[in-house]
Amino acid sequence: MKAIFITLLTALLLPLGLVAADDATSASHLEEKMHVVAEHTSPDVAHAEKSPHQEGGVVTEIAGKFGVTWATLIAQMINFCLVALALYYLAVKPIAATLDERQQKIADGLQYAEEMKTQLAEAERERAEKVKQAAIDAQKILTEAREQSKEMIESRTQEAAAQAEAIIRKASEATELERQKMLSDVRQEVARLVVATSSKVLSRDLSDVEKSSFSESAAKELANADS
Amino acid sequence: MKRDKKITQLAKKLVELSKDAQGVVTEAGVGEVIAGLKRVVQRNHLLVLKAYLSYLRREIALQTAVVSTPGSLSPDALQAISAKYTALYGRPVSAEVKIDPSLIAGVRVRVGDDVYDASVSGRLQRLAENVH
Repeated sequence: MKAIFITLLTALLLPLGLVAADDATSASHLEEKMHVVAEHTSPDVAHAEKSPHQEGGVVTEIAGKFGVTWATLIAQMINFCLVALALYYLAVKPIAATLDERQQKIADGLQYAEEMKTQLAEAERERAEKVKQAAIDAQKILTEAREQSKEMIESRTQEAAAQAEAIIRKASEATELERQKMLSDVRQEVARLVVATSSKVLSRDLSDVEKSSFSESAAKELANADS
Repeated sequence: MKRDKKITQLAKKLVELSKDAQGVVTEAGVGEVIAGLKRVVQRNHLLVLKAYLSYLRREIALQTAVVSTPGSLSPDALQAISAKYTALYGRPVSAEVKIDPSLIAGVRVRVGDDVYDASVSGRLQRLAENVH
């Protein structure tokens, strides 16, 4: 911005300065010298050297027609320079600084946006990878859970079957033991009744002679027994 | 009451002194031992006498075959029983009859802690015990 301003100012000042210098010198001194030189040279050269004088005169003539005087032009040039310098330091320079700052901010913003875009793409890629990994892990966990549940169900089923079988076996054994005990009780009771009845019958029906005879026989049996 | 070891040994010696030459406890032998005890002043004479009585009963029980029967038995049967157990135990065993109507018929012989049963009630009891 600063360079553009300086270039523009120079482009405006240089032609005016050149024209003013050319008109001022040509109008006063060079006209007389050119006439002297023209007298000692050929007419062609003199004619050729007259063209610049004629161009400078045209500019002076035009300036005169437009009412431009050298003093006014120089004053205006000085004023223009002062105004240009004031504008440069008071307006152009802060604006240029503001624009540069703004440009820097925009560049930083674009760079930040680019970085964010890159980070976003990276984050998106990581998220996709994590989602994919999570899906794989979830599938694996689900498979393991299914296998474990299947094994657990089978184990529980077998355990329940074994327990049921054990309960049935114990119940059967208990029933059999109860039946055996009941039969034993019945047999013992029957035997007790038979013995009691037999004892009463024998006590009542055996005579003393029969008892003595049986006792003698039993005594001999004991005496003759082998220890 | 726990008997003293010396009292026990003395009681056993007194029982041995009460036996005759065949190793049978006799009334005469017991009388001599009692007479001797009366002459000797013992500090624990009551405990000695109690121990002597206990061992004397045990010895008499070992030398006696108690034949339980509901009625009477012939002397021949008693003699046969006495001879049988004398030979079996290797010491003189005399037979003694004891009336027991609960046996119904037959005999039951007890020598010390051994019992030999040939009675009707015993057989019926064994029959009942064998039925399961």
